[in-house]
Amino acid sequence: MPKQIAIYGKGGIGKSSTASNVAAACADEGYRVTIIGCDPKSDSSITLLRGRRIPTIMDLMREGIDIREEDIVFNGYKGVKCVEIGGPEPGIGCAGRGIIVAISLLKKISSAIEDTDLVIYDVPGDIVCGGFVAPVKKGLVNEAYVLTSGEYMPLYAANNICKGLARLEMTLNGVICNSRGALNEEKIVSEFSKEIGSQLLAFIPKDVLVQTCERDGFSVIENAPDSDIAAVYRKLARSIMGKRDGKIPVPLDDKRLRELTRI
Amino acid sequence: MPLKKEKEPLIMHPRPSSIVAALYTLRDLDTDVVILHGPPGCSFKHARLLEEDGMRVVTTSLDESGFVFGGHDVLVEVLEKVIERFNPRRIGIVGTCASMIIGEELHEAVTQVQPDVPVIEVEVHAGYRDNTKGVVMALESALASGIISEAEFERQKALLKEATMVEKRHGAASKEYLEPNRGDLKYKVAGRLLELIKQGKKGLNILNAKKETAFMFADINLAVAEVAQKLNAGSNIINMANLDDNVGLPKNRRNALEIKGDLKEKGFKIHHIIGGLDEYPVAGNTADRIIGEKYKDYDFAVISGVPHALPMDNIKNMELFSITNGPRQVVPLKEMGHTHVVVEIDLHPKTLGVSHIVESEFGATLRELAKDA
Repeated sequence: MPKQIAIYGKGGIGKSSTASNVAAACADEGYRVTIIGCDPKSDSSITLLRGRRIPTIMDLMREGIDIREEDIVFNGYKGVKCVEIGGPEPGIGCAGRGIIVAISLLKKISSAIEDTDLVIYDVPGDIVCGGFVAPVKKGLVNEAYVLTSGEYMPLYAANNICKGLARLEMTLNGVICNSRGALNEEKIVSEFSKEIGSQLLAFIPKDVLVQTCERDGFSVIENAPDSDIAAVYRKLARSIMGKRDGKIPVPLDDKRLRELTRI
Repeated sequence: MPLKKEKEPLIMHPRPSSIVAALYTLRDLDTDVVILHGPPGCSFKHARLLEEDGMRVVTTSLDESGFVFGGHDVLVEVLEKVIERFNPRRIGIVGTCASMIIGEELHEAVTQVQPDVPVIEVEVHAGYRDNTKGVVMALESALASGIISEAEFERQKALLKEATMVEKRHGAASKEYLEPNRGDLKYKVAGRLLELIKQGKKGLNILNAKKETAFMFADINLAVAEVAQKLNAGSNIINMANLDDNVGLPKNRRNALEIKGDLKEKGFKIHHIIGGLDEYPVAGNTADRIIGEKYKDYDFAVISGVPHALPMDNIKNMELFSITNGPRQVVPLKEMGHTHVVVEIDLHPKTLGVSHIVESEFGATLRELAKDA
């Protein structure tokens, strides 16, 4: 069975950037990788496809198309298989239901989530309804990672996600710190990881190169392969692909969380 | 490029629900209790009717806060209560629009409660174009729990596909909007039928009914045979019926046997068995073949149940008397060329919870008129 992971974290914290760079780094190492974008914005795979937007599952379904695998699975950087679920414009319809429907369809028609080494589910930041945990509930995710910075609000969100994971009896396999340049950031996130029963897997420093490459439609792995930041992503990718047992996280109470961010 | 399906036209009149279709299928599978996971009023009318057939239906009664906070806990609670109160041998859990949209996982409750008896979970809502989808989903789940065989599943699936096609060709899914219609006056149609029988015309008397509706539709065929007998024209009538008791889910076989028993007792001879009670979408083809071989020159035909499933090829020159229970079936049947169309209104509810033939209005009219004949 492939490694099936989901990366959770507060909206805007850098989940898609991390997911696509990890995907590209794993592809460099020779792994077969599939990335499933679960956000209605459908921008998870864009930097693996040189800025190209692919048709989403929900768009095709809406048009009444008899969807086959080749209509929704596209080859990106070094053969990374890219899928976007898609969904409605903000404020209308029900994006959560879209994820449920698309995940069920994917399970039925696609080998891309089975015949591969790594599947990354790039899930929206806020798990606002049941649909957003469909990949976990339908048994398609066996490892979860939390992405956060050392600031209070992203940590608060990360802690909340741990509550959700614990309720779903889902293991947490590691915490990733995407730095925003806060004071004592690595120490804070490292301590947080320990206290919830996990570990800090990587500290990704803030680097403008990530933004520059993304704007041009690339991952740093593809466009700046020799950069320091690319090396950080490669290390994270190896760490994720390495064998590791996860544990069901134990969320902190809010008081402790506030103390922690004062270090 | 992706293949674009021809977009199916919008249909505006209300049609059978896939949730209800799943409920009826669970009944046919001899399920003791079904939990509807959703709002208290969902599928109320049918849930209530199904209790006449001995299957209990309960609801998790999701309310506004259930929609917002999820209904897992209450589903667990209801499942535990159902086991304690009814001591069922087989349980069903059926989804609704509300619970499916918010992403409820029926299986989670089952995993938590761990009942000792099989649970058939059907994650269905009513948003499917064809209600047969609800039947297929229930059967898929029954197959997964080992309650039906792969062969039976495939057989059912093929029949459902045909049933869907029948409705698309000449039934409830054939037009953007179908006007409900009470059909022709029973009194007049019965009068015309008696006239033909009296004249010594040769007629086909065909029962092609869907499952338990045969309990009442059979009464019409029985009445036709009875009045023909009375007028010494019994030998002019050929009876056909989809009452094979060797096929289908347990309930359908039982019902076929019960109806055949009643008919035999009344001296009704079935000349041709054209299929089982769940074979109404294809039994018409068998009837068509037999008619083509033997009865092409007959003068009239009485067809009760699902008359629009009978191909017109070999009956188009006959005077057709069709009896349906769908007010929206009248217009399509007339358009097909059926001369007289009679509606037995509200037939289905009267055929739940019964094990003997139930009197029909058209049958009663025919018998009454024959008294003066």
